[in-house]
Amino acid sequence: MRLTRPIRAVFGLEIRSLLRDRRTLFMSVILPILLLPVFLVAMSWMEDRQVQRDEARTFRVAIVGPEADFARSLLVEASPDSRFQWVTVGDAGEALDAEELDLYVEAMAPEDWVSVVEEREAEAEVIPAELGGVPVFRLHYHSSRTASREGASALQERLLELRELSRDSLLLDAEFPAARDEIAVLRTRDVASDREVQGATLGRYVTLVLLGLMVLGGSALSTDTLAGEKERGTLATLLTSAATRNELVAGKLLAIMAVAFSIALIQVLNLWLFLGLGIIEPPSNVALRVSPELAFLLLVLFLPVVALTAGILLLTSAHANSYKEAQLYLTPVLLGLLVPALAPMVPDLTLPSAMILVPIANIALAARDLMVGQVHLPSLLASWGVTAAAATWVTSRSVRALHSEKVVTGDTTREEFLGGPDLFRKRVLRWFLVFWAVKLLLDLNVQFDDIRLSALFSVGLLFLAFPLVVIRHFRLDPTEALALRMPRPGVWIGVLVGAPAGLLAAQGLFRLMQYVIPVPPEVLEGFGQTLLPENVPTWHLLLLLALLPGITEELTFRGVLLHGLRRRFGTLGLALVVGGIFGFFHFQIFRIPSTAMLGVVLTLVTLYSGSIFPAMVWHALNNGIGIFLATQGWGESLEGAWLGAAGLVGLILALGIIWVFRTPYPDVRPQTRLRPDSADPGRRLDDSSPSFDHEKRDAGFEGRR
Amino acid sequence: MNSDFVRTEALTKVFYDESRGEVMAANAVDIACSAGEILGLLGANGAGKTTTLRMLSTVLRPTSGSAWVMGHEVRQAPERVRENLGFYSASTALYPKITPRETLRFFATVNRYPAEKVEARVDHLIRRFRLEAYADTRVERLSSGMKQKVSIARTVAHDPPVLIFDEPTVALDVLNAIELRQIIAELRAEGKAILFSTHIMSEAEKLCDRIAILHAGRILATGTLDELREATGLHYLEDIFVRFAGVRNAAEAEVQNVAPGSPG
Repeated sequence: MRLTRPIRAVFGLEIRSLLRDRRTLFMSVILPILLLPVFLVAMSWMEDRQVQRDEARTFRVAIVGPEADFARSLLVEASPDSRFQWVTVGDAGEALDAEELDLYVEAMAPEDWVSVVEEREAEAEVIPAELGGVPVFRLHYHSSRTASREGASALQERLLELRELSRDSLLLDAEFPAARDEIAVLRTRDVASDREVQGATLGRYVTLVLLGLMVLGGSALSTDTLAGEKERGTLATLLTSAATRNELVAGKLLAIMAVAFSIALIQVLNLWLFLGLGIIEPPSNVALRVSPELAFLLLVLFLPVVALTAGILLLTSAHANSYKEAQLYLTPVLLGLLVPALAPMVPDLTLPSAMILVPIANIALAARDLMVGQVHLPSLLASWGVTAAAATWVTSRSVRALHSEKVVTGDTTREEFLGGPDLFRKRVLRWFLVFWAVKLLLDLNVQFDDIRLSALFSVGLLFLAFPLVVIRHFRLDPTEALALRMPRPGVWIGVLVGAPAGLLAAQGLFRLMQYVIPVPPEVLEGFGQTLLPENVPTWHLLLLLALLPGITEELTFRGVLLHGLRRRFGTLGLALVVGGIFGFFHFQIFRIPSTAMLGVVLTLVTLYSGSIFPAMVWHALNNGIGIFLATQGWGESLEGAWLGAAGLVGLILALGIIWVFRTPYPDVRPQTRLRPDSADPGRRLDDSSPSFDHEKRDAGFEGRR
Repeated sequence: MNSDFVRTEALTKVFYDESRGEVMAANAVDIACSAGEILGLLGANGAGKTTTLRMLSTVLRPTSGSAWVMGHEVRQAPERVRENLGFYSASTALYPKITPRETLRFFATVNRYPAEKVEARVDHLIRRFRLEAYADTRVERLSSGMKQKVSIARTVAHDPPVLIFDEPTVALDVLNAIELRQIIAELRAEGKAILFSTHIMSEAEKLCDRIAILHAGRILATGTLDELREATGLHYLEDIFVRFAGVRNAAEAEVQNVAPGSPG
């Protein structure tokens, strides 16, 4: 993108205004510079003091009960420990409540313990009643009091240690031939290099810390930049200038990026300085050395994160009507951005994995890998690309927001006012995004042992309920929205040829994808066992995993989704978008390409036949044949490159047959980018432009969105 | 090419309001304004003046109809339209942390005034609007009268041929309002085409070459003051306005009265 004069002017205005706002500058730059080391020094001091206090602390302990003498002989006489101050009291329970004691030991004979267990059934569930005829030491403490809690912990540790020593002593007395260390000596050696140790430690937090600093720094400008301008009245002035919306957003975005990045960098350097000067002690396993090469690579790696953060802050500001409202949104935005940055702290989460597709989380993992020195280059590049794409998309939303009268003036749009099908066409992708998130959460949290119940819930209930809710909420005509029309008879020939051919082609694609995203055999085996358990009759599987998704998933994707998007894209665009979304609803990453391919084909079938029924039959046959072959142990018979190629040929033939007997899906946007009947044939039309006359004008307004 | 600097044809804007439903804020508005002319849009609050001017300045999208500024259609070439106009309203504001000089430089730049001429233009405007004494003082420290002058200078920073003043005197005291009207008259003398909206009759009488009476989104009459007097036989603009607006209201009442099921 060229840095035009208006972009530079807007950038300069933003930076100059911020630098002259002493209060904001003090609060967002100077104060954190001063407070951060103070905070860290205070934390370090408190930690040291805690250690010193723990070392000096003594706990007041009483020993009571029928076996008190035995306990005393073990704890007090045989191996005295200066941390414990042994006291004698009348009623230990009362003394504990009155804080005269930190804790007490109740030493019981085994038969006493059994009676305690019988009295308190709740404890009997977790503590065995049969204890082998030895005394029982029961520690009574008060968990809300620090001294009591820590004393109990220290005494428990001491008792376990004494028990071990007593056992060893008994064994040796009974002429057991060796002490523990005479059997095998245990020593450890850490083979990780300093860089790996440092990378593993710092790498877990680096994205989280930088992101937090960037959001807080960037918000100093972002809350004022659009929301504040709306409130002051300067946005109206700016919008009547000759600068394009793209230039306005670009100038403001660059300013937020610069501020967010600079403030984060200043704070990091500030921290580094204090660490270097020895004012703050670094953690024991963290060195202060970061090579220039690593620093540069990290800088490049974090660029899309900076852009995405700035884009989200700007978009938030665009949708807020005032400075105060923008500040209100800041906390949820901060938390929302920090959650993916926690990815490196999740055990066993590494790249390459599905996390490549999650912006910020992928960079956080890549940053850790980079710092450890174990870089998987394709994953790193893909992560960078995904987060950069997310940043671009968010920025485009800000440009769109400045085009939106609703955002600029707060007025209700025609679609929002009228509701119904017009609004659905605008909201369809938003609804599917929310549905995707809800379904993912439900699939992760509502799990059944029986695959049949899972299928009924996840495939039957959710995919049936969603289109019904959509139809009702947006007052859609079910026949139109679900394409419930009979196709021409010849179409069925294509379906019968295409379903098995498509299955073979999808298998071929799956095998090809193995070269790109290799899936471990055990993962595939586990997935197969979950999906096709041996104890479930085949006809149940055919019913629930072939016929049911054939109906419900088609109602959702080739039904309402296709209906909602039909005016946004041409035939090919619709097939790719609907197919792609269908693929992403299959949450295992290795299934996405092949299911997306099936989705593309089923969308083409629906668009050519003008009916949902052929796609339903094709989908059910596809799943049914796959299940049948797998349950018969013939799954491997589908492997082989020539079968994939044959499947592709058969697939093309089938689509050709359906095309010959076609009944076009109504109201699909023409394939051409330019509309011949437009008032201005030269203008570029937007993907989202509907085909009503007044909406044509909307879409062409300002040339592009 | 048409000699009008500004022209609209059946310019219409429909809003959707939760309480009022579909509102026709501007209904087939036809106006034109040529060089060295001030066209007054006269109407009560809510008549559709601001909506019409916002459509001309490309902030709002017309529901139907067309509008051209210096031959550029508002939807097809919005940036070219904005390059050719300066928009001033009582609700537009200045950036508080920068100085008047920086403000003028900023708006000349974002409006694509030739880079090599920006500084000369800024100096000229500072002299022209007598801003020398506080040209390098931050806007936030200026009085409202000073800010008003800076705002007008900002509006003409890129020397546009078309100027839009939307209720510019609404928040001003008498002296500042007089000064503003003088400046607008000077700008007319420089050959600018000026659209000036107001609900103050005396202001329209004194300043405007032609007046378009706007009521409930419709243009009811357009002409010079003399033409409007001749058409109505009334002398004062206030009476003329009431005549047109009153006739319109009466016509609407009559329509309502003859509607099926209505009393009377």
